[in-house]
Amino acid sequence: MSEIEVLKPLKTWSHLAKRRRKPSEYEIVSVNILYNTRKGCAPYDLDPEVAMNRWYKQYRDASPLQHDDWNAFRDPDELVYRTYNMLQDGQETYIHGLFNQFNEREHDKALDSKWAGTLARLYTPTRYLFHTVQMASAYIQQMSPASTITNCAAFQAADSFRWLSHTAYRTKELSLTFADKGFGVDECAYWETDPAWQGFRELMEKLLIAWDWGEAFVALNLVTKPAIEEAVLRKLGEAARHNGDTLLGMLTDNQLMDAVRHRRWTTALVKMTLEKEGNAAAIKQWIAKWEPLADKAIDAFCAATPEVPDAAHDAKQATRDFRLSLAL
Amino acid sequence: MANLGRLDWYDIARNTNWQPTYVQEDELFPPQMSGSMGIPLPEWESYDEPYKQTYPEYVKIQREKDAGAYSVKAALERSNMFENADPGWLSVLKAHFGAIARAEYSASTAEARMARFGKAPGMRNMATMGMLDEIRHGQIQLYFPHEYCPKDRQFDWAHKAYDTNEWAILASRHMFDDMMTTRGAVDTALMLTFAFETGFTNMQFLGLAADAAEAGDWTFSNLISSVQTDESRHAQIGAPLVAILIKNGKKAEAQKMVDIGIWRAWKLFSVLTGPMMDYYTPLEHRKQSFKEFMEEWIVTQFERSLIDLGLDKPWFWDQFLEELNYQHHGMHLGVWYWRSTVWWNPAAGVSPEERTWLEEKYPGWNATWGTNWDVITDNLLAGKRELSYPETLPVVCNMCQLPINATPGPTWKVRDFPLDYKGRTYHFCSEGCQWCFEQEPERYKDHLSLIDRFLAGMVQPMNLAGGLQYMALAPGEIGDDAHNYAWVEKIRAARQKAAA
Repeated sequence: MSEIEVLKPLKTWSHLAKRRRKPSEYEIVSVNILYNTRKGCAPYDLDPEVAMNRWYKQYRDASPLQHDDWNAFRDPDELVYRTYNMLQDGQETYIHGLFNQFNEREHDKALDSKWAGTLARLYTPTRYLFHTVQMASAYIQQMSPASTITNCAAFQAADSFRWLSHTAYRTKELSLTFADKGFGVDECAYWETDPAWQGFRELMEKLLIAWDWGEAFVALNLVTKPAIEEAVLRKLGEAARHNGDTLLGMLTDNQLMDAVRHRRWTTALVKMTLEKEGNAAAIKQWIAKWEPLADKAIDAFCAATPEVPDAAHDAKQATRDFRLSLAL
Repeated sequence: MANLGRLDWYDIARNTNWQPTYVQEDELFPPQMSGSMGIPLPEWESYDEPYKQTYPEYVKIQREKDAGAYSVKAALERSNMFENADPGWLSVLKAHFGAIARAEYSASTAEARMARFGKAPGMRNMATMGMLDEIRHGQIQLYFPHEYCPKDRQFDWAHKAYDTNEWAILASRHMFDDMMTTRGAVDTALMLTFAFETGFTNMQFLGLAADAAEAGDWTFSNLISSVQTDESRHAQIGAPLVAILIKNGKKAEAQKMVDIGIWRAWKLFSVLTGPMMDYYTPLEHRKQSFKEFMEEWIVTQFERSLIDLGLDKPWFWDQFLEELNYQHHGMHLGVWYWRSTVWWNPAAGVSPEERTWLEEKYPGWNATWGTNWDVITDNLLAGKRELSYPETLPVVCNMCQLPINATPGPTWKVRDFPLDYKGRTYHFCSEGCQWCFEQEPERYKDHLSLIDRFLAGMVQPMNLAGGLQYMALAPGEIGDDAHNYAWVEKIRAARQKAAA
């Protein structure tokens, strides 16, 4: 009679137990947590052809972006929920400290009225732009094929909500000093009709309906976000400093720290996908498809950004430098 | 301080709808994904969430909450809670974490769906925080049980369960996938956040927290109360939608989604939470009976919030109230009987004192459920444990995926609710489950219950061993009586004493 093996307790989850290394908190709580990627099963446990199952099969499982083991992905920052909050609570304390200090020094009253008009046109409408990034990141969160990826996308969505919140705060504050500039009133009109914004609006509206998750990821994280970060955060921040608006410059610098973190996970994910043949071609194709729209958006926005020479050129070059660093 | 107050800029942060022109509105918000029912964009902008929180408040409060929960855990890590705990209580933990942790993480997908496809901007922001909350609930409810892995292989199932076809997980996936991950944003908000989280998670997280505190498991008590504080915020995503739907002539649609959500949640709770509260939790630590908790949280409080919102009591309310008396007793009997098919050790919970408590809380228990336990008890007393195991499979419901059962004894009236649809006969446990199916048969049509899979030859070999293998349960993890039948000896002693 053969002995029946009785499973013994393990030091960690069975799916992590084969490795020699003691798993970190990040691995314990982040790896292989999705259950809608079980091999040979419909994503969700209803009729295999229910509309949402078809959506996932088409836009996630059949994406040109393929990998044999998406669960191998690791966020280079190894952020977990509780460390995300620690990180960002610290950053928010810093930002709201800035808001407080600059308000006490009557920063806004010292701003030039013309610059205030520029802020009304180019800065406070960013709440729409940042919100579209929030929405697009939430889409990647729900569609990506591994929990270690969904977490990064979720934090990215939250960071976009963070940026939008800063804009909302400043919109209100600026409206108290400049009653005649349309702060808190005209943002939607600028976003919907001002030539400076139409490039980004077109880009974001089209990006938001790029349903293939791989395309959505590439279009957002390799093309669109870099364009926003280089043109809207960096170049507008530079313009701000040249117009005595130290606060906006410091604010966008801080937001760019989030962006740098987003690029770290983006870089790591792209690197992992390059392990499989075919992905580089797919990524390049998507870049070729989305880059012209992003360039157009940068051109339109930077054309309106005062006192930053070569803004559009530099911003576009910076987005290309980032993509070059991915060694596609 | 010269900072603005939160409400000074809150409305600006949720004023983010615009009119798309480079793509169509229905492309940006596909009706299937947004569940918008043809209600125009401006109508959704009246959405007003009652629980308002900003991003900086969120990260601050959540950091503090985690600091609290993790420090309680760290402080009590060297306590002997685990070693001293009643085995029934450990079964509560195992069943809870296995069935809940990764389902919570999956709820972050549902929240992300609302954050992307909700047409109400306030809802999108609330759901962004809800998405983070659910990541928290997945992560914290994996991190806490992880420390028990070296002590007991069954705790591996806190993570492993959702990778398997174990029957209780099949039932959980079917329910959660129905109400949270396969519907549009509005439907999800009504079913997950309103029907499920407003009503039922209170039961699991506050009711069970009360029992945990009584049982001295402060880590768990603290953990799940902390989880519930998040739920009580993001659970409010759904309610403001009800007002918009009613105003736009969609009350019937809202009512239907809420009704499906309540019915489906009820069935899952009857198999998981009911036995935990009335059988696994040691008698001396039971705060209230499952029925009492249900009456407090669901019948009184939730019913009131339904009416306050302008909805009606679900059509099945009387049947639901009736089932509170018996459904979970049958589920418990089944779980204990098929105990080798679960990843925890069900506590029978039928010692003489416990039966007295059950009779008090559920008058008539002894004359009905008690008679089944009498047979089991007599077999165990006679040393015939093999007779206390099943030889057949239960008939399971094609909606809730749970065994069809009813109160035994003179009033025995179990009935199957069969339904033919497109050439296949489906079996349901109740009018409620059949009704859920009939609302949209195509959602469920080709799903196979575990028994369907067995009959289709997908489970090989076609015996218990094959079944366990299919469910990924091996010796070392498969369930057995929590107290290793010690309660039988108590009964023997009591009977001997009575005879003497």
